[in-house]
Amino acid sequence: MKTIRSLMYLVAASGALSLSSQSWAESEAPAADAPAVVAITPEAAHAAEYTAITRCQICHGAQGHSKSPIYPALAGQKAWYIVEQLHAFKAQTRGDPYARGMMWGMAAQLSDSEIDGLADYFSKQTPFVSKPSPFSGGAKASAAVARGKTIYSEGDSTIGIAPCSACHQGDAAGNEQFPRLAGQHASYLNKQLIALHNGSREQVVMNGIASVLKPDDMNALALYMEQIR
Amino acid sequence: MEQVKKVRPTLKLLRAAPLAGLVLAMMAGNSAQALPIFARQTGMACLSCHTVYPELTHFGRMFKLNGYQLDNLKDIQVTTDDGELMLSLPPIPGWALFVQSDYTVLKKPLPDSQIPNATSQSSQVGFPQQVSLLWGGKIAPHFGAFAQLTYGYGSGTINIDNTDMRFANNFILPDKKKLTYGLSLNNSPGLQDLYNTTASFGFPYVLPGNAGVGLGGAGFSAPQLQAALAYKVVGLTGYVMWNEELYGELGFYHHSPQGQLGNPITKVSGPLDSQSQGVLANNAPYLRIAYEKDIDAFALEVGTQIANFKLFPGAGTVGALPADSPGALGGPTNDYKDVSFDTQLQYVGENHIGEFHVTHIHESITNGAGFAAGGTANPTDSLNFLEVDATYYYKRKIGASLALVNTSGSADAGLYPGAAGGPTLGAVVGGTPLGVVTSAANKPDTNSYIAEVNYLPWLNVKFTAQYTHYTKFNGGSTNYDGAGRNASDNDTMYLNMWFAF
Repeated sequence: MKTIRSLMYLVAASGALSLSSQSWAESEAPAADAPAVVAITPEAAHAAEYTAITRCQICHGAQGHSKSPIYPALAGQKAWYIVEQLHAFKAQTRGDPYARGMMWGMAAQLSDSEIDGLADYFSKQTPFVSKPSPFSGGAKASAAVARGKTIYSEGDSTIGIAPCSACHQGDAAGNEQFPRLAGQHASYLNKQLIALHNGSREQVVMNGIASVLKPDDMNALALYMEQIR
Repeated sequence: MEQVKKVRPTLKLLRAAPLAGLVLAMMAGNSAQALPIFARQTGMACLSCHTVYPELTHFGRMFKLNGYQLDNLKDIQVTTDDGELMLSLPPIPGWALFVQSDYTVLKKPLPDSQIPNATSQSSQVGFPQQVSLLWGGKIAPHFGAFAQLTYGYGSGTINIDNTDMRFANNFILPDKKKLTYGLSLNNSPGLQDLYNTTASFGFPYVLPGNAGVGLGGAGFSAPQLQAALAYKVVGLTGYVMWNEELYGELGFYHHSPQGQLGNPITKVSGPLDSQSQGVLANNAPYLRIAYEKDIDAFALEVGTQIANFKLFPGAGTVGALPADSPGALGGPTNDYKDVSFDTQLQYVGENHIGEFHVTHIHESITNGAGFAAGGTANPTDSLNFLEVDATYYYKRKIGASLALVNTSGSADAGLYPGAAGGPTLGAVVGGTPLGVVTSAANKPDTNSYIAEVNYLPWLNVKFTAQYTHYTKFNGGSTNYDGAGRNASDNDTMYLNMWFAF
């Protein structure tokens, strides 16, 4: 029995890994030319800073440290990921509720070079570290965080989930293939897992993984990832 | 949408002027904004700017502050040979519609104005209660507007409603903090404000169009800052906001009524003279300071408004007046010094939304004109206004609100006459006092509670059921008017259906 479980586990993990190597771009960014992150001129950097402070700040904070957990923190996020997401908003291929409600409009006017500039700006800010909500304490929350940690670090073979850390790394700091998750608002992470679970946000690897997650597990993962430092 | 809380000044002015037959004050719809224009322009849904319209989120406040500028449209542009932009015009005009219909029931009908012992109808249906054509949005880079043309069934006419035209820009300080600055031309003091504690966009967001009496009707006293001067003045204000936190604004309001009567000499509209009523004598100063702190999903605001309005009572009647008539637009004025304190706490979560507002206004009145003319009993009076309201919404679909609205002020038999000085049976002369809008205690003191439930099947379709209960009206609970009417007789049940598209 143990052998069979381990086998399932390996299959799930390797499947996730091999799929993920195709990168996020294939499902969320516009199909044609997924943009590479390019060098930013001083002028573009200045323009990006102006846009970030005058517009992005309203929800995401001037330095990408969003106050409301509805909005993701952008500080320290990988530039390639921000580029991909902004293109996905602009192309209206990312369809979770706030993407539709807010970011489709916000990103519509951004040029490729402005997107590159904003990605560069936010990626260089001091990474954000969310403080768990004061209302989320208690034994129930502690149990949820523990459950989240187990799934993240060890996976759950009973539902065919490989450890998240297999791709996202133990520190969830992000790399050239996977976005930063550490310290993100739990509320936002949970909302994204739900969107990936129900398919309103299309990402072929994560749709598959999230499809087997139960609401409690998504919440547990979100609470744990918020606390990864 | 026509004046909401402007009733007491009207009565006051009537008292200060020769009595021209008692007209129960102008009927109201209510002001509100939630603009499909802006949704079309920005490509963003209502929930970006609103919790549930018309209450603004932080994003909505910043959108207003920045002059309604964001857009996701491919503008029509012209540049010079040097690349300087000369035109950046949104390709579609910013238009939208509000349609509101209502059903209102007064607990005890008003007496018939002409037939002894008969009553008026206790229920009123407004279909529509009002229709607004909204226009605005981005006009050019840094210039934007929010404006309404409103048909109201009470007046049966189309009128200029809330109008706010802006210039706005941003400056990044050396420490990378943002300073937003701008100018607003608007037609009601406080209309341009960012918070839902001020009159134009404060709770209750809808009120009966033809309630007859009370909030949204007649006989209810409120300070000038409670939209008493709405659409009769124009103000130019300059504002700055530091880092989306600290807001300061200073401006001046000038009298600017729409549809003013022709001057008897020139036979064209203006300049105003004794034939007008309630004319702002000064360039009335208006100061606003507010501080907002956003923590987690909470946004807390505290602020103050300070304003000083000097009004000539005017006469408002066509015809000759004696040489020393108090109707002349010169000499003493009635002065209203208003100081408000307001605070707003919002919680905007994924599924749960909470809103809490407190507004207190103290008004010091110097009856320079009214007292000399015998229109008021006291040379000075005061009036206090307090509103506390709380709202909860679940998933922006179902919500409930509770509110307390309280006014209190000094007793003044001139401003708040008893039944003998009020409307009488058989209109023009004599007859039995009808009461209703009068005060046996000669006081404006009114205490009301509002309970409201809302249902939004869609974010732009809103159904409201509202009940207003009065524990005190014009200074009393029983026989408050001196003609046998009790405060709770004015309790009002109101149903409203609001389409925004």
